[in-house]
Amino acid sequence: MLVRFWGTRGSLPVAARAATIERKVARALVAAGGRTFADEDEALAYIAAESDFAAARTYGGATTCVEIEGGDGSFVICDMGSGLRELGVDAFARCAAGKPREFHFFLSHLHWDHIMGFPFFGPAFDPNARIVIHAGHADAEEALRRQQEEISFPVPFDGLRAAIEFRTLVPDHTYEIGGLKVRTIPQYHSHTSYAYRFEDGDKAVCFSTDAEHRVDDMDNERLFEAFFRDADLCICDTMYSLAESVTMKADWGHSSNIVAVDLCQAAGARRLALFHHEPTYSDEDIERMHRETIRFEELNRGERPKLEVLCAYDGLEVAL
Amino acid sequence: MEWSIETVEGATIGCPQGRVDEESWELFLARMNETILAAAAAGHRFVLDLARLDYMSSRGLRALTIAKREADVHGVPMALARPNDRLREILAISRYDKIFPVTASRDVAD
Ligand SMILES: [Zn+2]
Ligand SMILES: [Zn+2]
Repeated sequence: MLVRFWGTRGSLPVAARAATIERKVARALVAAGGRTFADEDEALAYIAAESDFAAARTYGGATTCVEIEGGDGSFVICDMGSGLRELGVDAFARCAAGKPREFHFFLSHLHWDHIMGFPFFGPAFDPNARIVIHAGHADAEEALRRQQEEISFPVPFDGLRAAIEFRTLVPDHTYEIGGLKVRTIPQYHSHTSYAYRFEDGDKAVCFSTDAEHRVDDMDNERLFEAFFRDADLCICDTMYSLAESVTMKADWGHSSNIVAVDLCQAAGARRLALFHHEPTYSDEDIERMHRETIRFEELNRGERPKLEVLCAYDGLEVAL
Repeated sequence: MEWSIETVEGATIGCPQGRVDEESWELFLARMNETILAAAAAGHRFVLDLARLDYMSSRGLRALTIAKREADVHGVPMALARPNDRLREILAISRYDKIFPVTASRDVAD
């Protein structure tokens, strides 16, 4: 299995401003200390050796969209955030090279940041494409049609030329979709959200965004420990600090790095990807959160095996 | 986990000893809640003296959250005193040091 992150930001797309890039370039020049590079490749190799992620890179600002490769080779895509536009461009190239034009979407929920990319998804305009939209919500079709009403968007949903169908999934049921075993579980979030677990042979990936795990709800915790059990990768909502998530942002439907580590360690998961980054966070803020989470995992590990903590960024690929 | 209570001028101090983990966090929470009620009755603030706590898992953070809500309901100010280095680091990473006053000495906790 291969997991490819196309959009990792929460709530609202963001983009780096000129001053942010200027600052990164200035710091890189100072850090290079007068060293010269024969060509761009040599400069890239120098940057690749730099351990500080935010110094020369960005986590990106597209909203939730994660692709999972595996199964029977059809596209498996979690959520339709603004990251979906770029996936669509890339999909055309892959389909031209022979990949089947079969797309399976899995929607965590229908909030704007998770569906806004669909009107810009090129393959939806391809009459030879087949798109199946799976959701725990029976009103997924209504949400997607509504965002393409004339008041919001110039092209109506019925103007999309692909064969599009909707399928409502229920929890406590294992589906066989795109050659993967798929299960879903409801999560605490406004209008409910759903996590998904995808299994391909002995590999498993869990996608769990926009999920609040309330501090006094032990039943919820046990359900998620079971859902994440022995997963190779868990993609988790880590938008807030634990303190924020239990005080002023309690009931906002999001979770923290601390709770994500806790659940993944209890579940015996191998990797955690921090995800749904707060839009007001700079690259440095996100990198600090990543470093602190690695440290917390170490402090909280006890006798358990190490949980690898990744920080998702637009463009990250994780091979399982 | 063992639990003892001390009182000083204006403060009821809860002193956990040993470990707060999967097995003991509910007891830890129950003891804190009882002590918060005692502090409320005495018109005291509640200080949790962490000096003799060897280990606290994130279950302990969960208990602190619920205890803080209880303290708020009763209008009892709650502070954490004398965490060890490891715990101090966890309080910083979770940003719990932003919702609780954390002090190096229990006497100045308020
Ligand atoms: Zn969201
Ligand atoms: Zn949401």
